[in-house]
Amino acid sequence: MTKPMVPSDAELLRSMLAGDERAFTSLYGRYKGLVYRFALLMSGQASIAEEVTQEVFLALLRNGRRYDPERASLKAYLCGAARNQVLLLTKKERPYVQLVEESDEGQETPIAQLISGDDPLGDCARNEANRLVRQAVLALPARYREVIVLCDFQELSYAEAALALDCPVGTVNSRLHRGHALLSKKLRAAGLDSAPDAQVMRCFA
Amino acid sequence: MNCHDFEKLAMALARNSLLDAKARDQGLIHTEVCNRCAALLAQERALLARLRAVAVEMAGEEPPARVDALLLAAFRAQTAATASSIVIPAQGRVGRWSSWKLAAVAAGILILISVMAILWKSTSSRMPQREDRAVAPKPVNTPGPQAESPVSRDQVADVRPKNLPKRIRRHASMKSPDETEVVTQFFPLREGEDLTTLDSLQMVRVELPGSALGEVGLPFDPETAPESVKADVVLGQDGLARAIRFVR
Repeated sequence: MTKPMVPSDAELLRSMLAGDERAFTSLYGRYKGLVYRFALLMSGQASIAEEVTQEVFLALLRNGRRYDPERASLKAYLCGAARNQVLLLTKKERPYVQLVEESDEGQETPIAQLISGDDPLGDCARNEANRLVRQAVLALPARYREVIVLCDFQELSYAEAALALDCPVGTVNSRLHRGHALLSKKLRAAGLDSAPDAQVMRCFA
Repeated sequence: MNCHDFEKLAMALARNSLLDAKARDQGLIHTEVCNRCAALLAQERALLARLRAVAVEMAGEEPPARVDALLLAAFRAQTAATASSIVIPAQGRVGRWSSWKLAAVAAGILILISVMAILWKSTSSRMPQREDRAVAPKPVNTPGPQAESPVSRDQVADVRPKNLPKRIRRHASMKSPDETEVVTQFFPLREGEDLTTLDSLQMVRVELPGSALGEVGLPFDPETAPESVKADVVLGQDGLARAIRFVR
C-alpha cells in the first residue's frame, strides 16, 4: 500500500495564500501547537500564548509571501515570529502581573486531568516535578529560556534555532550550555536532581 | 580527549545528536576514566529527560477553539476581499491602484470634507457649547461626532497598525448600553508612512461597503458585505487618505 503524499509546508503555504481553506487549516493544524506551546513556555501565561498564536498566524495570512523557504524552515520562521510577539507582549504587559492564572472563561478542568492513572502518588509527584521544571524554565533570563524552549522542548536543530533567533549557531550553543547550567542549579535548589523516571547512574561495568 | 574537549561534546552526547562516530566513541571512552565528566554527562541526560517529560506532558496543549475560529474567519475574510473588488487601498495595495482611482477617491473625500465642514460650522454657530466636543475623538467608545474633527499630532500616536480581532473583542466587552459608538483602532492605508511627521491631518466620517472590513483583515459576513459600514478616514494635507477606522 502506498503512503499518501503529505504536502510540504511550502506547498501548503502557496495554496493557502491562493485562498485554499483546506491548506490553511492543514498548515494551522500542523503548527498551532508549536507556536502556542512556545509562547506558553516563554511567557507562562495562557492568555499571552493565545494572543501570540493569533498574531503569528494573522501575520502569516497577511505577509506569507515574504517567507522564503530557501532561507529557513516554516517551523523556524514561525518560532521566530512567535518569539518577537512574546517579547512585544511581555514587555507591554509587564506592569500587569497576573497573580493567578485564570481559567479559560470559566471552563472546568478537563475530566482527564482529574482522573489519576494506576499510580496516583507517582502521577502527583510527576506533575509536581513538571510544574517545578516549568517554573525553573520561566525563571531563566529570556535569552537562555528561548534556546531551551526551542532546542529542548520543540526539538529544533541548532541551525533552525539560530534562524528563529536571528543569531549565529555558536551563540545558540553557548546559550544552551549556560542555560542548562543555570537550570540544573535551579532544579537542584528545588530538590530535583535526577531523571524523572529512571535514576541515571554511571555504569561501572 | 581531555575534560575541556568533553565539555564541548557533553550536550550533543546527551542528545545522541553527535554525528561524528569517532568523537562520540572518544567521549564515551573518556567518561569511563573520568568520574567528573561521567557525572556531567549523567547530569545533562537527567536534565534532558526532565525537559522532555514536560514536553510530553504539554504535547496536548493547544490554543482554544475560539482562536481557531477567529483565524478561520480572518482567512475567509481575506480570501473574500481578495476575490471581490477593492474598496479601500489597504496596506501594500496602494501601488496597484491606478492613479485615476486614487484621484477619484481623493476628490470624493475632499467634497465630503467641504460639505461636512460647512455643515459643522453652521451647526457650531448655532450651538457654541459643542466646540468642546470637537477636540480629539477618543480611540475607543467615542460619543460619535458625525462631522469631521481635526486630528492633533498627539492623536496620531493612536494611528498605529495593531491587530484587530482581539481589540474588537475587548471593545465589544467594554461596551455599555448607554454608549453610542464602538470604534476599531486606526489602520494605516500607506505602508511605511509615519503619520507623526505630517503637519496636519483631518478626519472625516464616511460610509463604505461592508467588504471594506476585509481589506484591513477584519472578519465580515460576505452576505451582508453590500451593506454600508461607517468609517473614519484620516486625510493628509494633500487630501489623500492615510488611515481608517471602523465605527459601529
